[in-house]
Parts: sequence; C-alpha cells; structure tokens
Amino acid sequence: MSDNILNFSLADFFFNDSPSVLNPPSDFEEWMGHPAVQRGFSFYEQELLEAPRVSTRIRSNLDGKERRIINLTSYNYLGLSTHPEVIQAAKDALDKYGLGSSGAPLLSGTLDIHVELAQKLAEFKKKEDCLLFSSGLGANVGTIQGLLRKGDYMVVDEKIHKSIIDGGTLSGAKMLFFDHNSMDSLQMMLEKTKGKRTLVAVEGVYSMDGDLPRLPEILDLCDEYGAGSYVDEAHSTLMFGANGRGVAEHFGVEDRVGISFGTLSKSFGGVGGFVCGSKPIIRYLKGYASPWNFSCAPSPAVSGGLLKALEIATRDSSLRDKLWKNVTYLKNGLNRLGLDMGESESQVIPIIIGADGAKLMRFAAAMQTRGLFLQPVDFPAVPAHARRFRISVSSQLTQAEMDETLNIIEDVIVKGKE
Amino acid sequence: MTKTEVIEVIKRIIEENLDDVSIDDIDPQKSMKDYGANSLDMIEVVSCSMRELNIKVPRAELAEIHNIDSLADKFMEYMGS
Ligand SMILES: Cc1ncc(COP(=O)(O)O)c(C=O)c1O
Repeated sequence: MSDNILNFSLADFFFNDSPSVLNPPSDFEEWMGHPAVQRGFSFYEQELLEAPRVSTRIRSNLDGKERRIINLTSYNYLGLSTHPEVIQAAKDALDKYGLGSSGAPLLSGTLDIHVELAQKLAEFKKKEDCLLFSSGLGANVGTIQGLLRKGDYMVVDEKIHKSIIDGGTLSGAKMLFFDHNSMDSLQMMLEKTKGKRTLVAVEGVYSMDGDLPRLPEILDLCDEYGAGSYVDEAHSTLMFGANGRGVAEHFGVEDRVGISFGTLSKSFGGVGGFVCGSKPIIRYLKGYASPWNFSCAPSPAVSGGLLKALEIATRDSSLRDKLWKNVTYLKNGLNRLGLDMGESESQVIPIIIGADGAKLMRFAAAMQTRGLFLQPVDFPAVPAHARRFRISVSSQLTQAEMDETLNIIEDVIVKGKE
Repeated sequence: MTKTEVIEVIKRIIEENLDDVSIDDIDPQKSMKDYGANSLDMIEVVSCSMRELNIKVPRAELAEIHNIDSLADKFMEYMGS
C-alpha cells in the first residue's frame, strides 16, 4: 500500500479483516497515519468559533491558527439560523418548554409546538399530513424503512443520498439504481420491477452536483408503471418554486408527488426532518418508522425557532430573491473564469477539479489560508475523476464578499498561485 | 494463481451474491450489471473476491472497469505483489 497510498480512500476499509470487531482493519491505522492522508483529513472537523454565517471564524487545522473566513460551505442558504426573530422564537420556546421533549412522540414527547409545526409544514407542502423527525437522515431512513418490505423494490437515481440507501437496506427491499437523470435507464429498471410494489426516489437538488431531477417525466413513468414517488427536497425547499415549496412546485407537479421529504437543517437553519403525504400513509408510518417511534421528539426550542423560520421564509420572497441574485452573480463570475460547474442549476455550485486528489487538497489549503472556507469534496463522496469544491450560496453574501471569493478562486484555481 | 482461476473465484462469488445467476451462465466479457447487480452488490462481490485472493486494490482504480474479464486483469496486477 505504501507506494500508492493516495489511491486509497475510506471506501477501501469498509470491509474489515481484523479478527476482532473492536479493531479497525490491519492497514487502516497505517493508512490514516500517513502524512499525506492526514493532510487530507485535516480539512475535516475544523472548529467554527462563531455561528455558521457567511462571515465567521474557524480554528484552522492547517496551522492551528484562528482565522476570519468567508464561509461558502455551510448550508445556511437563507441565513435563518441566526435571524433575530428566529433566535427570539427559539428563546421563547426554550423558556416555555425547556431544552428537551423527554420522550418519544408516541408516548409522551409530543408537545403542542410539534403538532403546530407539523401542521404548518403539511399546509406549506400542500399535503394532508406531515411526520416530524429529530434528524433529516432519520426522516429518510425511517420513512423508507417504514414503507418498504422484503420483496418490494426501490428504484433510485444513482446519485441519491446515503440516507435513502440506508433506509432501503434496512427495509430489505431490493434496490435498483438508474443512471443519473436518464429516463431510458429509469424505464429499463421499471420494466424489471413491473407488477411488483415499487418506490421511485429522487432528489430535488442533487447535493453534490446542484442539478435538478427531470421530475415531470419521472412522474409520468411512475404513473405508467404504477410506482410510488418520493422526492427528497433537502436542498430545494424554501429555494425553488414561486412560493418556495420546492422543485415539485417549480415544475408544477406537487399533487403528483407521493411523499415529499424535507430537512430542517439547511435552508430552515435548524435541525430535524419531515415527510409529507396522505393522512393514511402518515398514520401507517407512525407504527413502523423507528427514528420516529423509538427516538426522542425534537427539541422544543428548535421547533419554536423553526416555526418562525417557516413564517419568515414564506411571508415574502425577499430572502429567496436575494439568494438567487447572489447565485447569478457568482455563476457569472465563475463562468468568466472558465471553471467547470458541471450541470448546476441551483444554489449548489460544484467547481470540478478532476482526478488529481493532491491538487484538490493543495487548492483547499491555499484558499483557506487566504480566508475562503471552501471544503474539498473527495472520492468516494464524488467520482474519482471528478473531485471538486462545492459552493453553497447564501443570501447573506455581500457584493464585496462575492468579489473577494472570486478573486481568491481566480488566484488559486485559475492562476495556480498556491 | 492463473487468470482463469481468478475468474472462477469472481464467478463463484457472483453466484453467491446475486439472485438467479449460476456460474455456467456467467460470461466474463459481460458486466455484473448485466446479471442484475446494483452498485452495492458490485462492491460486495469485489470485496469478497479481494478478501479471498488476499489482495487490496483501491476502489478508485476500479472506476473504469466495465466487465469481469478486466476486473480479473486488475486483480492479477496485484497478485503476488
Ligand atoms: C439530499 C439529502 N437528504 C437528506 C439529508 C439529511 O439531512 P440532515 O443533514 O438534516 O440529517 C441531506 C443532508 O445531509 C441531504 O443532502
């Protein structure tokens, strides 16, 4: 392994050959301990010393120094996590209910504030009912695991989020992956599952690429083959559609989506997840979605803040408009620099560097030293030939911050000033 | 071990991991996808094969491999090294 150490990744240590389950694989420590590998990992788990705003401070793992940075990595798309009204609402809920819910929703954890939030989210998504979870990942795992059984099929886009795959694995359903956004490939898979109970799952905005699903066509195929549909709107809720209801609204197909998933941790600025659907299926899920019925209900303080966040994001479109203005400005700038942004159609903008992992890490270090916090995304999270940076645009970005961002990107990535 | 033997190992593990496939039907010029494997199944087959052959090929080097025969070639590069 020593001569090609950088070709290895976490993907190579998943299967463990150690005799004891409490030890990692025999060569894992050797790999992890290698200076080049450590350098790569040093980008992860860097401490933020202030709120995850666009302008914040980190303790840089590069040199241990504290640094003021322009943060283009947090998912605080609309800046709601630090909105003064949201903070006040969270404080009020904290005062009223305390820190925790002290129980799973089924037995004692359901507070009136949870019911109100779920109702508002269902109304917002134009569905009959909504189930609230303490985590977005938990909402996907629990819902998929609650819907599917051994003998069922789940047909998913090959770029689908891990939480949906984990739900599928847990359910025992057979999973088929169709080529990203290829309707021919989807149809081929649906031919295979014809006559079987099948769920088709796609994302609203693909989280590593920033492109959208071909939702109207996907839903046509679901109808043709009698499959159920599931849309993960983690990165599209509050961003897409005239009213921010997501890509289903954007494409005008809301009433055709079976289950609509959203997370409360990105544009909403809190933490948690939810799924919306018909009353009967939500009632059924309550019996079988373990992350709901075997896990404590969300923190009431967070739920209070989220109610306000939803109100702010939907009372007018000012934050969303600001976000899209920033997206356009940054994309125009990146275009002028000739950078490869893949197929991005959203506030998630990849800058694809290519196969050279060492170069990716050098660029990341140079940009961070200059004050730009733009995290590298490496294999296996993305294909080995398309390692990248990924910009999460925020409505909080000022013109000056965007110009500085483009300057640093130009110097480091385009001119190679490391 | 010869390449033919490596292919036999891969074929056997494909049979063990996929539904409705028997060793005799497996053509090394084809991809596991042709036998109904999804990406998780393929990782499983590759990992089990490597464990049995006592080799470790980085996943990043397997991205461009599209059939069983070239997978065996890749494995051969790492055998006895
Ligand atoms: C597409 C998608 N689905 C689900 C999740 C899980 O959401 P959360 O981080 O809120 O648990 C994420 C984010 O991590 C995501 O990108």
